[in-house]
Amino acid sequence: MKGLKLEHLLLEPLELRLVTTAPAMNHAQLWTHALSLAAGLQARGIRRLAVHLEDAGVLAIALLGAWRAGVSVLLPADLQPHTRQRWDESVDAWLTQASDLDALYQAPLPGAALDLDACQLSLCTSGSSGEPKRIDKTLRQLANEVDALEALWGADLKDACIIGSVATQHIYGLLFRVLWPLCAGRRFGRTQLAFSEDLQRASREHPRFAWVASPALLKRMGDNLDWPALSQVSRVFSSGGALPVEAAGSLYDRLGQWPTEILGSSETGGIAWRQGAQPWQPFAGVALSQDADGALRIASPYLPAGHIEHTADAARIHADGRFELLGRLDRIVKLEEKRISLPMLEQALMAHPWVTENRLGVVQENRASLGALVVLSAEGLHALRNQGRRTVTQTLRQQLSQHCEALALPRRWRLLRQLPLNSQGKLPQAEIDALLLAPRPKAPEVLEQVEANGEWTLQLSIPPDLAYFSGHFPVTPVLPGVVQVEWAFNLGQQLMAVPTRFAGMEVLKFQQLVRPGDTLELHLRFDPQRSKLYFAYRNDDTACSSGRIQLEAAHASAG
Amino acid sequence: MSDKQRLERDIKMLIIEALGLEDISVDDIDSEQTLFGEGLGLDSVDALELGLAIQKTYGIKIDADAKDTRNHFTNVACLAAFVTARQAA
Repeated sequence: MKGLKLEHLLLEPLELRLVTTAPAMNHAQLWTHALSLAAGLQARGIRRLAVHLEDAGVLAIALLGAWRAGVSVLLPADLQPHTRQRWDESVDAWLTQASDLDALYQAPLPGAALDLDACQLSLCTSGSSGEPKRIDKTLRQLANEVDALEALWGADLKDACIIGSVATQHIYGLLFRVLWPLCAGRRFGRTQLAFSEDLQRASREHPRFAWVASPALLKRMGDNLDWPALSQVSRVFSSGGALPVEAAGSLYDRLGQWPTEILGSSETGGIAWRQGAQPWQPFAGVALSQDADGALRIASPYLPAGHIEHTADAARIHADGRFELLGRLDRIVKLEEKRISLPMLEQALMAHPWVTENRLGVVQENRASLGALVVLSAEGLHALRNQGRRTVTQTLRQQLSQHCEALALPRRWRLLRQLPLNSQGKLPQAEIDALLLAPRPKAPEVLEQVEANGEWTLQLSIPPDLAYFSGHFPVTPVLPGVVQVEWAFNLGQQLMAVPTRFAGMEVLKFQQLVRPGDTLELHLRFDPQRSKLYFAYRNDDTACSSGRIQLEAAHASAG
Repeated sequence: MSDKQRLERDIKMLIIEALGLEDISVDDIDSEQTLFGEGLGLDSVDALELGLAIQKTYGIKIDADAKDTRNHFTNVACLAAFVTARQAA
């Protein structure tokens, strides 16, 4: 199939040129629909359009129709209420389902070339400041990128059907699943196939196929798949985040080829590619440099002319022009290819009256997820004490769900009395991540300890997140009495030269409940004659508990 | 406790462990409760993880050529029925 330039896609209808699979659409149908949409948009005076469509075929119609009508297109990342609200002022209309297009169709405008410099597309992503960021591109930038991809891999792919597991709202899916195949004359699947079983079934329907996938799927493909059949795949593209070396190796073993990883971003478009554990090979025309911090700077035909994009990726550039990535220099993280701004979510959490301070980090387990360190306000502590930890964490997750996808909601919560800031008043990200990995505390925090006449007086803070509060009780956490005895025993051992073996307790009194966030005074005194450790916990003027612990030397006989 | 109840409880524990869910216990998950989207609030990556964990734990394979295999993941009761059927097969 002869290639078409992106700007020439609406010149004339081509019935024999296929565009999508199931349901099939040919180029003449695409042409008619796009020009009909263009007529409707013009008639209604729509100049700016927000488009969020799951069907890649309908998306192709919407994009070409809008560009033909001189309408600028914004592709929001999702349809969260917060997102809609944010962009509502900047657009005249939203297209979010096929019926929205049906309502606009009118007698088609004549076919024409698109103006590469006048046609606009805007993508949305998380900016490092926390505010969602809008990235404006001209059709020329996109066309340059499509040309480069076809020059690099077109001959390999031939007429492979393009099957995707990623969304088309982002630059990678948009280029690889829609714009590139449109220009190259390759058919593409309409829907995003998130599961490997669906990908397999779609693949089986075509003698030649290629995948536009991401690490989220590629690293979780199981033995239940028909690998001999799948190894017919012409090429496996992966982008959106780093593909772990083991996952790439496993695909190599099963498919007999390395997945082709694409490095890029919404801002820069494609930067480089690689197969296997090789350094990154920049795309033709991409010029790399570095700033004083070692961050990659990029000039490329996919950026506005003359623009140099400063990324936050630290890199090492080799003499042959290839390079390695050394990690991010900012607080943007990627979870399953979704770029997530930690500062934005932290701000959103701060807006809740239960939160005084918070920091987010990444917890790496089977899957990477976010964790939150939270210092509760007095109100938040009240909620914790009277409604329990689950209510608190669920409420805070609910708060965040207005601002992000479910995937970014913190799964691990650590409630702290205060953030352990360093001497510069900062909490380094490595420290946050370490705190999130640590188990919940089992000991009180000793704020102060003084000794007078053989009696110790300690100020203890009861951690809001004490491990013992779980299940004791789910809705009204209280400190178990046995833990109070254990703490008195342990602290006595640390502070005084006393026998080390626990031999019994007497006159135990529990008068007042101890709850998360309380500050207690603990009095400890050892009576060597009787070999008894006296303890008493007080909360201000109220006695909480007291008792005596019988101690004996470790080697003493039991009798 | 019947075999069915025991299997459902084990699957709930598997979900909590494999997906690292905090503040949720076996008793908090109803066997008929929707796992993904609304309901327990799990996402498609959890579905992928859970698919792998179920296959590994129970030594079964999800038939990739059957349509709608993911319907077995609707809730714990469906998953338990699926595991039972595959183990018998």
